[in-house]
Formats: sequence, structure tokens, C-alpha cells
Amino acid sequence: MLPLSLLNAAQNKPMLVELKNGETFNGHLVNCDNFMNITLREVYQTSADGDKFWKLKECYIRGSTIKYLRVPDTLLDAVKEEQTRAREAGRSARGAHVSGAGNRGRGMPQRGRGAMRGGPIRGGRGRGRGM
Amino acid sequence: MDKPKREAILDLSKYANERIRVKFTGGREVTGVLKGYDQLLNLVLDEVEENLQTESDSEPKTRQLGLVVLRGPTITLLSPVDGSEEIANPFAQQE
Amino acid sequence: MDSLIPFTTSGSLVDCVDRKMLVVLRDGRKLQGVLRSYDQFANLVLEDTVERIYYRDFFAEAWKGLFLIRGENVVLLGEVDLDKEDDVPLRQVPWEELLPYHRQEIAAKKKREEVKAQVLFEQKGFCKEGGEGDGY
Repeated sequence: MLPLSLLNAAQNKPMLVELKNGETFNGHLVNCDNFMNITLREVYQTSADGDKFWKLKECYIRGSTIKYLRVPDTLLDAVKEEQTRAREAGRSARGAHVSGAGNRGRGMPQRGRGAMRGGPIRGGRGRGRGM
Repeated sequence: MDKPKREAILDLSKYANERIRVKFTGGREVTGVLKGYDQLLNLVLDEVEENLQTESDSEPKTRQLGLVVLRGPTITLLSPVDGSEEIANPFAQQE
Repeated sequence: MDSLIPFTTSGSLVDCVDRKMLVVLRDGRKLQGVLRSYDQFANLVLEDTVERIYYRDFFAEAWKGLFLIRGENVVLLGEVDLDKEDDVPLRQVPWEELLPYHRQEIAAKKKREEVKAQVLFEQKGFCKEGGEGDGY
């Protein structure tokens, strides 16, 4: 699943965001958009040198200033689980062909993974994503 | 999971006439009372105070700027002043 | 020379997915983890990530979990050779022990770079970097 989809799936989960300037923000993700702009609530901000701390009720962070985000490790599995269930529900409900297959365990050959996400990744390589 | 594309994830109307803290790319930081905004996150703030002196902790040095238009593209962080406070290390064990 | 066929088609990270990768960030951090996904900006999802720091003949690791890395911060991405990765001629020590030395080394390097940049600026007409100094 695409990185931004993972981020979307992390709504209401706790996470750590490090900005390019080294400041870190620990909080729960409220919302996010395609630019990776995010809003967090119940935030603990740490200065870049690790010396000062603030508690913020909420904050908005520009995507362009983010270095990385750390999310709960269980999130990836939880999302895969949900995708599988949704796909299976869709398939049984309509019998329509859904691209990709359910159960892609980890450690499966990449070809499987490439085929599963062939749509968006192909789009990503060939065309920029419309902003 | 599709959201309406043109809806900003931050609803600034809830901060109208409240003091907010804004940080910029390049390291500048201000607080001011939110008077206006647009979809691009350009802001109008009143009674603006720029906080100089970061990370080299002498007394917090500020300068008054009055009524200011802040350009959205350079904004990196936005949070309400009310509801934020400096605290001691909240992590039991750092790192 | 190893076959260049995987790299002669249009650049893509699809062959790196589900593989253990080394990611070096602009701030100098070195992360290793399993690449789970990417997008057209090379934003990455790295699972089971470990951060490694080095100092002289030693290295230390800290487990960091699941990362979503914004692509523009990535300097390089390389596949870890699982057969050779343990042949590292360095000794592993605890993270807390090595951290101060590592930090000290970074600070010293940063100081040297600043001095260099200042000389280049004053004497050779170079521009000062706009606070975007890279740590790698």
C-alpha cells in the first residue's frame, strides 16, 4: 500500500513526527492530506537538541517540513488485514474482478506484490499524481 | 477513505480571534491573534510578537510587529497558544 | 560486473520492495529496514527499522519500528546483501554507550564544515547554505 495510504490509515493512532529542523512531535494523528500536511492532537513537542519540551493541545504541520514519521508497528498489519477483508467482502458481494489478490503475506516474491499494486505504482512511474 | 479534495484539513475558523503560534521555514516564530486566512494558509495576524532567541536559552526576546500578513507557503507549523505550555521532560527515559 | 539489466529499464523501486534496504537521510542518519512501499516522490515505508551509528571500530543499533520517510530527505537507498551483512569488521556495542561519541563526532564535523563554509564565503565568494546544511 502506498505510503500516503498508510498515513491515512494511521488516523487516531499515536505517532512521532520529526521535522527537517530536528524538532519532534509526539501526538495522535487527527487528519492528513495528499501533501502530507497533518494535524495532531495531544502533542508533546521536543526541541531539536532534546532539551526543551512543550505540550500542545493540537497543531498543524506542513508536509514539506516533515523529515519522517514513526507509526505503531502494528499499523501495517492492521491495514493489510482490513484491505483483505474489504476486498473479500467486495468480491463476494459483487463477483466483480478486483485487481490483485487477497492474502499477500510478507516475504512473498515481489512479482506478487508488484502485480497487486500494479495500478497506482504504474501510474506513479508513468505520470505524476494530479495535485 | 476518499476525502473532498478542496477541504483543508485544518479549520482555521475555530482559531478566529485567538492567539496562535506560527513557525516558518528558516526558523522564525511568531504569535498573533488570527484575524483572517485563506485556503493557501496565508494569514492575517494582529498584535504579532516575533520570538527571537531560540535554543540558546536566555530570557525570551521578542519584538512587536503589529498587524501582519503571513505567507502560507513558508508556514511550517501552526498551533493555538491557549492549550500549549512548556513542560519538563515527559518521557520516562529519553531515547 | 554484475548484470545491469535491473537498472536499464526506467528507474523504479519495485525490485526493492520486501527487501532489506539501507537508507541514508540528509541529516546523516543510517536506517536499515524492509522496504514495504514507495510512491512517485520516493516516499518510503520501512518496516522493522533499525538505526545504526558508527564510531571508529564500533557500531551500535537501536530498533525504531515502522517509518514513513518523506522522499526528499533520502540521500541513498541500497539493498543490504543478507549474505554479507554480518561480515562487518566492526564491533557492536550498546547504543547508550556509543551515542555520546557519535554525537561528539557529528558536532566536530559540523564545526569543521562551518569553518570551511565561512572561509569559502569570505575568501572565495561562495554562498552560505541557507540553514539547509546536510549532515551526511
